[in-house]
Amino acid sequence: MSDRIVLTLRQPLTSALDASPITADHLAACTNVEITALSLRYDGEPMPVGELFRVQGERSPHVVLEGDLEHASGIGTGQVRGTLVIEGSVGADVAVGLAGGSVLVRGNAGPNAAGAPPGASRGVTGGEVVIRGAAGEGVAGCMRRGVVAVMGDAAAGAGRGMIAGTLVIGGRAMPPVGRFLKRGSIIVLGEVEPDPLFPYACTYRPPHVPVLFRHLRTAYGLPLSSAHIGGSYRRYCGDMAELGRGEILAWSAA
Amino acid sequence: MRVNGVWIEDTFAEAFTMRAARVVITAKSDRWAREAALKLTGFATSVIGCKCEAGIERALAAEETPDGRPGTSVLFLTMDKESLPTRLIERLGQTVLTCPTTACFDGLPAAPDRLGVGKALRVFGDGFQASKVIAGRRYWRIPVMEGEFLIDETFGMQKAVGGGNFLILARDADAALVAAEAAVLAIEPMAGVILPFPGGIVRSGSKVGSRRYKKMIATTNDAFSPTVRPLTASALPEGVSAVLEIVLDGLDGGAIQDAMRAGIHAACGVGGEGRVISISAGNYGGKLGPHHFPLRSIMAPGT
Repeated sequence: MSDRIVLTLRQPLTSALDASPITADHLAACTNVEITALSLRYDGEPMPVGELFRVQGERSPHVVLEGDLEHASGIGTGQVRGTLVIEGSVGADVAVGLAGGSVLVRGNAGPNAAGAPPGASRGVTGGEVVIRGAAGEGVAGCMRRGVVAVMGDAAAGAGRGMIAGTLVIGGRAMPPVGRFLKRGSIIVLGEVEPDPLFPYACTYRPPHVPVLFRHLRTAYGLPLSSAHIGGSYRRYCGDMAELGRGEILAWSAA
Repeated sequence: MRVNGVWIEDTFAEAFTMRAARVVITAKSDRWAREAALKLTGFATSVIGCKCEAGIERALAAEETPDGRPGTSVLFLTMDKESLPTRLIERLGQTVLTCPTTACFDGLPAAPDRLGVGKALRVFGDGFQASKVIAGRRYWRIPVMEGEFLIDETFGMQKAVGGGNFLILARDADAALVAAEAAVLAIEPMAGVILPFPGGIVRSGSKVGSRRYKKMIATTNDAFSPTVRPLTASALPEGVSAVLEIVLDGLDGGAIQDAMRAGIHAACGVGGEGRVISISAGNYGGKLGPHHFPLRSIMAPGT
């Protein structure tokens, strides 16, 4: 057993890679040989991991992916436990249907990050997803439970159909945000313009925000300032076309 | 044995197994965290009449608390595990929930026995409450007129020790109070232990039962009451005209023992010129409580 498994991309990807078998819990059960032989789909064809990545380590719940993975989709799909760190940017569908453990993306993430698998009514059902850069369309769609934190901007459709859980957006949240939100919290530190279906409630200091932000700062080193941690937030309740039990918390001031 | 010239009786304190929770209250300022803690721990001196024992363990700096605000740690004890959640729900609901700016956190998150305190209090939100899971802990956000009250869903419960004690036998009441105050000052900063009585000091130590009244479960400790010395089997040495007791509850026997040692040293340290005559302890012959704290072992050099 190693302290971690490191997959280093041998050459830049030029075609689409379906990397959905790469999850921390899946790799944690595999030897180095088994990981190397694990089949992915590259440009629509089966391709063993070993041809695309140099594999170091085995049988560890801590997995690190190195290299430009913007063409790789589905990494961390359905992960139940373990930690998965992507050192650069990643393509679509990262951490789709995550159920536990954590996925950290140090760069940007493509569309449907921490979203729901095709046709599924639920997205993330547990665990934590942290994206240090920006997120593509539909981040945290249909999330049922867990925490998703995007430190950069979030493209349109963030938090669409969230059932519960928490989405943090450190940058700008492009409209629409939280459409069809049932419960759940969307905390936005940058610019946000809630839909009319999110009526304003009040400006206050939500007591759970310091607990959450201190955890994210400690666990992932996120640059959340004391102004964010102890600041005031405008609370918008919505989506009133749904249950109306969700909220958008827009950072107001320290 | 003598400590600073004060005689240490060859006896022991007898204590009981209790169940404890640690409640961490945070607020906008030290003042409000303490205000809530004072109300929470009010009328919680003894299980004999209060159904629980509670006290402030220590003040917490902002960096020690889950939400980064100033806080106060409270230990809360009952005799059995069934009544601990009941007392916590009653008291937290009426004192911490009602206090401006406070939030309430479990101070024993690793304890496997969990009490659904926040889970019960959440219904004050009348359906408007919401939960958040952060780092594996579920919190309840209860809407209130000021904004929101945040509380852990469950609180840890562990076995604890209640009823550690020592008696300060002094020349007069003033000397006893000075010595007892010194003991309290020495114990107060210590973690894992509380002094549930007013200012940490008891003037009315009790014995089990009554000589005269069948319904009384506890009556005055006449053996240590100076005014009835000629009328009872007094345990008071010559020259003693006042006795004060320090009662300690702790999360474990080690915490009680350390606190007793610190407190007795402090009490003896101000006992010059014969002001404090001796240190004794309360027990029931060793038959009731499983935890015994022999004074001379505790105060032996090198311990």
